[in-house]
Amino acid sequence: MGGDDGKVLAALTSGTNDQRWAAARAAGDIPGGVQALGRALSSEADPRLREAFFTSLMRARSLEAVDAVLPHLRSDDANLRTGALDALRGMAETAAPRLPILLSDQDADVRLLACEILRDLPSAEATPLLCRLLEREGQVNVCASAVEVLAEIGGPEALPALAACAARFPNEPFLVFSIKAASARIGGQPPEHG
Amino acid sequence: MTEEEFQRLCDFLYRRTGMLFGEAKRYYVERRITERMGATGATSFASYFARLRGDVRGEIEQFVNAFTVNETYFYREDHQLQCLTSDLLRERLKGKPRGEAVRIWSVPCSTGEEPYSIAIWLLENWPQVDSHDIEILGSDIDTGVLEAARAGVYGKRALMRLGPELIERYFEQIDDEHWRVLADLRGSVRFSPVNLVESAETRPNGRFDVIFCRNVLIYFDDASRRVAAENLYENLAPGGFICLGHSESMSRISPLFEVCRYADAIVYQRPLEAARG
Repeated sequence: MGGDDGKVLAALTSGTNDQRWAAARAAGDIPGGVQALGRALSSEADPRLREAFFTSLMRARSLEAVDAVLPHLRSDDANLRTGALDALRGMAETAAPRLPILLSDQDADVRLLACEILRDLPSAEATPLLCRLLEREGQVNVCASAVEVLAEIGGPEALPALAACAARFPNEPFLVFSIKAASARIGGQPPEHG
Repeated sequence: MTEEEFQRLCDFLYRRTGMLFGEAKRYYVERRITERMGATGATSFASYFARLRGDVRGEIEQFVNAFTVNETYFYREDHQLQCLTSDLLRERLKGKPRGEAVRIWSVPCSTGEEPYSIAIWLLENWPQVDSHDIEILGSDIDTGVLEAARAGVYGKRALMRLGPELIERYFEQIDDEHWRVLADLRGSVRFSPVNLVESAETRPNGRFDVIFCRNVLIYFDDASRRVAAENLYENLAPGGFICLGHSESMSRISPLFEVCRYADAIVYQRPLEAARG
């Protein structure tokens, strides 16, 4: 790493607001920058600077960048979590290899957010993952998130999984209603493979 | 299109582009869907929607084009020009060192109608126009349209919103169908190429008081839109304003800016206190 690159990476956490902003925008193009951006996000409190950090990671659009963002999906800070979700949605295709693991994560919040990332994948990739989740998921809110995404992207191949999910939660009227609405939206349409 | 299909489409469009259509616009939406299905050879809504979601061959841009007026003309969305002279410039001049130029950027400027409109509007509607050094820059990624902008020759349709007295004052007729912007006015607007997602291209343009960036961010994917928003942020002086197209919202793109509601327009401001970038 050159001296200038080292200064940029150091500025991510130790600079003034102006310096951190400039470093955030430059770090994605520097060796080791992606990991440094991910680490620096943990200590960055300014929402505008966080935005720049996440944008640089999105622009990098690599599995390294995905891995740098992923820890923040578990953050206790809702803004950081949302920033991570937006960044991952912006590089959903790159994040795709990590999604099956995220959908099986022990943390229900992570599973719920992973459903949202699937919204930005082609239907043919996302629908089977969401259907498998619906078949085993025990948390109503996670199911509801999957149902909402399927309402936008799913085809008729999702209908059996939706029906089975509704049958598993007969005492959850909101989920049953959501499944009914989603099924109505996607029912009768040929499978999409966009 | 069934009710469910319409809702599905509307949800997707809002999430992807920020364009919001309710039941009242259903006929309008259906007509354009039918047009695009015909153009793409899609035989069902489902197959067309899959194409749209996957952005096959740039279908999102094609679809958005069907909803927006791509034709550019003088004094388009002139409520923003009204806002410029009623509110934005007054705000910008507060605390601005005397003698410092007022800088306005039109990006993308296409064939020049917008930056020339800004120049004409200021001359016609801003009493202080002669008291300030005003720089107007028009930029576009397409160098072909910039050549046309520099030439400043327009047909009747481009001039349709200008009254005959304005045409007389700022144009010379070169044949039955075409008018050229007068040399003085052409000389008051500078043009340069720029790619909004390349900070190496945006930064050299410096900081502006007001940026008009209409109907372009809507076409970008999420990452490019955020990069462009950050570049525009850097190109604004603290306290500077950005005007987007009527169907666009910066709040959906980036938290960097603050929303400002004026009588004539909603615009976005780089906060004064955040003097970074």
